[in-house]
Amino acid sequence: MAEALVVRGVSKRFGGLRAVADFSFSVNEGETVALIGPNGAGKTTSFNLITGYYRPDAGSITAFGRELVGLPPYEICTLGLARTFQVARPFGQMTVLANVMTGAFLRDRRPHIARERAREAIRFVGLADKENALAADLTTIDERRLEMARALATEPKLLLLDEVMAGLNPSEIDQAVGLVGQLAQRGLTIVIVEHVMRAIMAVARHIVVLDHGQKIAEGTPRTVVGNPEVIRAYLGTGYAHPHPHATD
Amino acid sequence: MVPIKTIAIVLAATILIALPLVVKNAFALDICIRVLLFAFIGVAWNLMGGYAKQLSLGHAAFFGLGAYTSTLLLIRLGISPWIGIVAGGVVAMLVSLPIGWLCFRLRGPYFAIATIAVAQVLMLLFLKLRDFAWGAEGTTLPNLGNAPLMMQFGGKAGYYWLALVLLALALAITYRIERSWMGYYLVAVGEDEDAAEAIGVNAPRIKRDVYLISAFLTALAGTFYVQYIYFIDPNTAFSFNVSVEAALVSIVGGIGTLWGPVLGTILLEPTSALLQSTLGSGRGGVQLTVYALILMAVILWRPTGLLGIFTDTYQRIARRG
Amino acid sequence: MFSTVAQAVINGLLIGGIYALVSIGVTLIFGVVKVVNFAQGEFVMIGMYISFFLATKLGVDPLLSLAISMPALFLIGVLLQETLIRRVLGLGDMPQIFLTFALSLLLMNVALLLFTANYQTVHTAYSDASFQVGPVYVSVAKLIAFVVAMLLSGALWLFLHATDMGKAMRAAAQNRDVAMLMGINPNRVFSVAVGLALALAGAAGSLLMPFYPAYPTVGQVFTLMAFVAVILGTLGNVTGALIAGLMMGIAESLGIQFVGADSGLIVVFLMLLVTLAVRPSGLFGGWSR
Repeated sequence: MAEALVVRGVSKRFGGLRAVADFSFSVNEGETVALIGPNGAGKTTSFNLITGYYRPDAGSITAFGRELVGLPPYEICTLGLARTFQVARPFGQMTVLANVMTGAFLRDRRPHIARERAREAIRFVGLADKENALAADLTTIDERRLEMARALATEPKLLLLDEVMAGLNPSEIDQAVGLVGQLAQRGLTIVIVEHVMRAIMAVARHIVVLDHGQKIAEGTPRTVVGNPEVIRAYLGTGYAHPHPHATD
Repeated sequence: MVPIKTIAIVLAATILIALPLVVKNAFALDICIRVLLFAFIGVAWNLMGGYAKQLSLGHAAFFGLGAYTSTLLLIRLGISPWIGIVAGGVVAMLVSLPIGWLCFRLRGPYFAIATIAVAQVLMLLFLKLRDFAWGAEGTTLPNLGNAPLMMQFGGKAGYYWLALVLLALALAITYRIERSWMGYYLVAVGEDEDAAEAIGVNAPRIKRDVYLISAFLTALAGTFYVQYIYFIDPNTAFSFNVSVEAALVSIVGGIGTLWGPVLGTILLEPTSALLQSTLGSGRGGVQLTVYALILMAVILWRPTGLLGIFTDTYQRIARRG
Repeated sequence: MFSTVAQAVINGLLIGGIYALVSIGVTLIFGVVKVVNFAQGEFVMIGMYISFFLATKLGVDPLLSLAISMPALFLIGVLLQETLIRRVLGLGDMPQIFLTFALSLLLMNVALLLFTANYQTVHTAYSDASFQVGPVYVSVAKLIAFVVAMLLSGALWLFLHATDMGKAMRAAAQNRDVAMLMGINPNRVFSVAVGLALALAGAAGSLLMPFYPAYPTVGQVFTLMAFVAVILGTLGNVTGALIAGLMMGIAESLGIQFVGADSGLIVVFLMLLVTLAVRPSGLFGGWSR
């Protein structure tokens, strides 16, 4: 199977802090991969490196055969990588529809086409009844839905989801898991950063574990969970009692 | 049946066009011209400052470049200001490129500060250009009487109609942009640049493009203004007040809205003209004191501008009727 | 040649002390409250008029009037924070920029209405005094202003490093939540920060009065200088603002000496623009993105 995303030997330091060190992993097309690890392990930093918000100090990142290092975020998005932010960042003064249309304009500049595609994405995430609401007035779960719809409207081939389930209650998590599952079935490649273990087990076939900026384990959910290194990294936190408001 | 909205627009346009035929009072017509001109500058500023939230406090740079380009062409080469006004716009666009390159690296307040610095540098530069551009003394423009081909009109009516056309042009451009992908992109960049880039918005390019348009339009106002007052010097052309007023009318009226700057100017400009005529221009400071108080009041109590009050009332009435 | 350069550098350094005081104020407010104060220069203006009227009406030496202008401006600062700035915190760039901007317009024009645009000066025994060091003449009034400015900067540094309130301010500049965790009421921290910043501006005004005329728009130059210094020195960085303030003074003075009497500001602005071009994050660290 072809590789959608290849991260090879990527490192990033902030001042004296080593955020990510010699990190490598790859994602096959159509696969859903979860990136997990304790707080501060470098998961969000990895997303920022892949999507062009940070420039790695070393290493290379390729998606669909194109080198991403050095490209600005909007070009990376144009290549078919869309992301959500850990803390949702809706355009507060726009309506839900306008938010998602802004994403849809990437592929077609005609407003009526963009509106149509935006409505599709909004319907998919289940926000159809709120398309005229101001984004600033949404609840947390609806903000996450909006964020996902906006990303989907850019028609990505690879979707990077940063803790889309943090702060959701169990039934909302089930809904979110359902959405991710549907996207995977459509053939979308997904990289998901998540703390909610139940969700990870449900959606990911492959898990990469980060700790202190380094990859400590990788494999199927079953093998990763049994890995002593992983258990040590998580001891007392994360796995045993998923932290509901975990931040990275 | 013709919709009420169309009738209202046609009616309003007719009144606006016919106004100078009815109003013969030079003072009143002067106020109308200033309202149209500053509304025009406000609309130009608002494209970039309102929609994309790039809060420039240096738009006098483009006003001045427009004014000086057409005046230099007119006096040095005898070229008609009708050509000069377009040339001024082009010069402003060209200058906006390096300014944007420098200033757009900065966000929020730092951007505003950098734009002030740029406008000041241009003013100081023109103060230095004594031989080429008349230095600090400035120059008067040759009075050709009624010479429409040289953008000079016998009465005020000609200037009124020209200003009206300029404002209509700026509003039409804004209207088109607001409804196109570009309008969405501008607002997205204004709301959250990082999030906009994540969904493929080329923020540097969209900011550059809107700056080009805004600079071009502001320069047209500069040419118009010197043609109207027959005088140019660096302190008039690059007046900090122009930069302030461009932002002020937009904020008071409603930042990032089509009609906001127009409403803001209608409220502010006659107020200041009346203040000046009743208190006399000798008493400096009254106009800006009042402006400052209005601005503070709007920011503290209605930061989205006063336009909202009107549209809310309109909708309430419309819903009832 | 050497003596001309040396003279320009000394003159610039001395006035740079004043720029540093104003810049530190701007950077302090920005660091702690996250608001850029466009009216900082107008508080220098107010300090000048306080000293001017104390000198002309009551015969108080401008340097002694520091004891009045500083506490007065401190109180104005607390009031400013409590009544105005507090209401726009967290509302985004537009209200924050234009509130202090409107305040600057207001103060300038009210001063114009009250005091007219005339230049007001105070002549003291030391106003014209100077002494010679090698080839260089040193103005006594400017030297006093510089020394006091440096002492005040040092005192502020000590305050920020040695007191709980000062530490809370530095913590707030790093991270708002940390300051709250330290159990210090953030509103009090904000008020004291704005108060101190304005007290420094007031001090600058009093120190200027023996050798610099007061007029309603005098503050604009100081605000612009402070902004440039603060961008060069990286916003929120007190030491950076101090050094950059001194540099601005020297750059302006060299500009006046070698480009022309009215070119000081051009040199300063060009310095800002060149810095933005080559090092957009300022000379002493990063802030953008």
